[in-house]
Amino acid sequence: MTPALPRRVLITGVSNPLAAEVARRLASQVPSLFGCDVADPASALEEMDFVHADTRQSVIGKLVRQLRIDTVVHMAVTVDSAGEDRAAHETNVIGTMNVLAGCAGPSSPVRRLVVKSSQAVYGAAPGDPSFLTEEGAGLDRPAYGLKRDLFEMEQLTQEFSLRTPECRVSVLRLGYRVSEGTTLGRYLSLPIVPTFAGFDPRLQLLHEDDAAEAVVRAAMLGHEGVFNVAADGVVLLSQAIGIMGGKALPVLPPYGRWLGRLALRAAGVDLPGHLVDVLAYGAVADCTRLSSTFGWKPAYNTRAVMDSLARGKDVEVIESPSPPQEYELQVYLQRRRRRQGNGHAGTTLTVQR
Amino acid sequence: MTAEPATVLDSRELRRRSRKAKVVTPPSPRLRLPRPIRRLQRQAPVYAIQGISGLSTRLREATGREVIDMARVVEIIQFLYQQRELARRGPDYAVDDFGFDAQWTESLLPLFKAMYRDYWRVETTGIENVPATGRALLVANHSGVLPWDGTMIKTAIFAEHPHPRHVRALVASLFMGMPVLSWFLRRTGQTVGHPDDTRRLLERDELVLVFPEGVKGTGKAFKDRYRLRRFGRGGFVATAIRAGAPIIPVSVVGSEEIYPMIADATPVAKFFGLPYFPITPTWPWLGILGMIPLPSKWRIQFHPPVRTELFQPASADDQHLVMTVADEVRNTIQKGIYDNLKLRRGVFV
Repeated sequence: MTPALPRRVLITGVSNPLAAEVARRLASQVPSLFGCDVADPASALEEMDFVHADTRQSVIGKLVRQLRIDTVVHMAVTVDSAGEDRAAHETNVIGTMNVLAGCAGPSSPVRRLVVKSSQAVYGAAPGDPSFLTEEGAGLDRPAYGLKRDLFEMEQLTQEFSLRTPECRVSVLRLGYRVSEGTTLGRYLSLPIVPTFAGFDPRLQLLHEDDAAEAVVRAAMLGHEGVFNVAADGVVLLSQAIGIMGGKALPVLPPYGRWLGRLALRAAGVDLPGHLVDVLAYGAVADCTRLSSTFGWKPAYNTRAVMDSLARGKDVEVIESPSPPQEYELQVYLQRRRRRQGNGHAGTTLTVQR
Repeated sequence: MTAEPATVLDSRELRRRSRKAKVVTPPSPRLRLPRPIRRLQRQAPVYAIQGISGLSTRLREATGREVIDMARVVEIIQFLYQQRELARRGPDYAVDDFGFDAQWTESLLPLFKAMYRDYWRVETTGIENVPATGRALLVANHSGVLPWDGTMIKTAIFAEHPHPRHVRALVASLFMGMPVLSWFLRRTGQTVGHPDDTRRLLERDELVLVFPEGVKGTGKAFKDRYRLRRFGRGGFVATAIRAGAPIIPVSVVGSEEIYPMIADATPVAKFFGLPYFPITPTWPWLGILGMIPLPSKWRIQFHPPVRTELFQPASADDQHLVMTVADEVRNTIQKGIYDNLKLRRGVFV
């Protein structure tokens, strides 16, 4: 059975760069597109109607019914929270709960739901199999921080999909992204990168383009289920640092890793708890379900993702923007604003550019 | 230089018209040693080889036998140069999805071959039972406090097999959480002992090595040497049947004596989160020197394969069949150990 194409699409959290990119790609493919977020979008998209709406309050239900939305792309999920565990919990668990409540009920017109999640839901541990499959979201070890929030969020989503069989739900566990704004990206671009002594894990990454493409495909084709989305192949952490032109300095203590985390915070990089585990043990997801169901796989392999980050490191100044560059410029300025606004982006990091 | 006048004129003209070139000077090093010393630095390896070969000839004339084997010296030099080349490749090398760096692993093989030939004088039999291509599951007994037996099985197949192959061993997840070991094991092709990993490796037609005894085997006391422990729950048989891979039992003799474990300091092991903390005649009394293994005499035997690929994949769920095959493999290995112990003249000869 091929489900009907989406007609009226709502994107939550549309002001974050990835969701904005998804909106830009969806704009040409769907008749009407709506976006909502707390903050203003980076750039106005002509085809999209923007609404100020907070997923943490129960307004989505009204919005969905009023606008007769048939597809909700839930992107208001924090997958890279550094330090603000409280806020991430509110956004991820409470926000998703509200969105799901809004989409539920017999009066709901929603027939398709795409939820953004992250590979962080697996965490990382030495006893993990080398490739994490979708079923392997760990229950066997204590979850904390982002990992627990995402896990709770996915549980809510799964309950929703069981209770509402008429709505096709896809959950995308996006791999770790290393674009300029992410914590991992900033960590790898340090001139001297402190690593955990005696560990050189495998990293698997995902390019921003592929992340957006995966969400768009899930929204357009409505593949049901949970999917890992990550690039092919791996690079070792030391390789990744080498590609970025930095130097790995194995100084962080291999045992008692929270100490290393504190030291990093003092140095200006606030690594979230789940990334600390990834930088010690590495986590690689198995994406065969994605390629077999979607008939598509990420265009960039992990090495190419690293290379593109390394290239992007050299490109910084934009002079006299020509119209086609307007969008990129807006995104760039927004990221810059956000970095300055949050303050935690670390002044030490901007020095090396 | 025999230039015709016309060309000279042209070049003069060109020179006159051309812009003045910017002189680019090479970046000057901070400290530049005097020329004779630099020449000496450059020539040092050559002088060293000449000196060693001269010494070797003189010693041979004096004693009448080969004291310094020049082939070995050349091997060592080759090894050092290869390591330098590998250090130069920077981040531009590829690892497979499991984190295996074949080039780097092969560069370390001379070290392990030296251990194999000269230190433990390993005698390998039945190498023809290991297939040159395709998947197979090697199942071996596990002993010695540190997993040297794994490295020697890997080296045996690389050194003796007509078609050298990399063996991918499965290690306890505990080692993957340890500093240094965690990256060394992955980089040399090992992976976590998880059924899912075994399946993936076998499906890629790799040669997979598994020690069903696990840490129960390596951590057994010296008085229990050459007595096989329980073979897990036969999970390796089920995985082999599902993947359609034959099982090749391997008996290793000699690894029990490399670290004679007198006692196990359980409280210390608990404190460090280790499965056992060995007390041997040398460890921990001599510190790092206590980690040097004893030069026992080794024998490795590869047995004829158990044709598990002939079973239906569904029969992997038949617990009775699985346990029968596991027992059969265990008995083959145990018998092989006794046979090879008889063939060995002494522990160290």
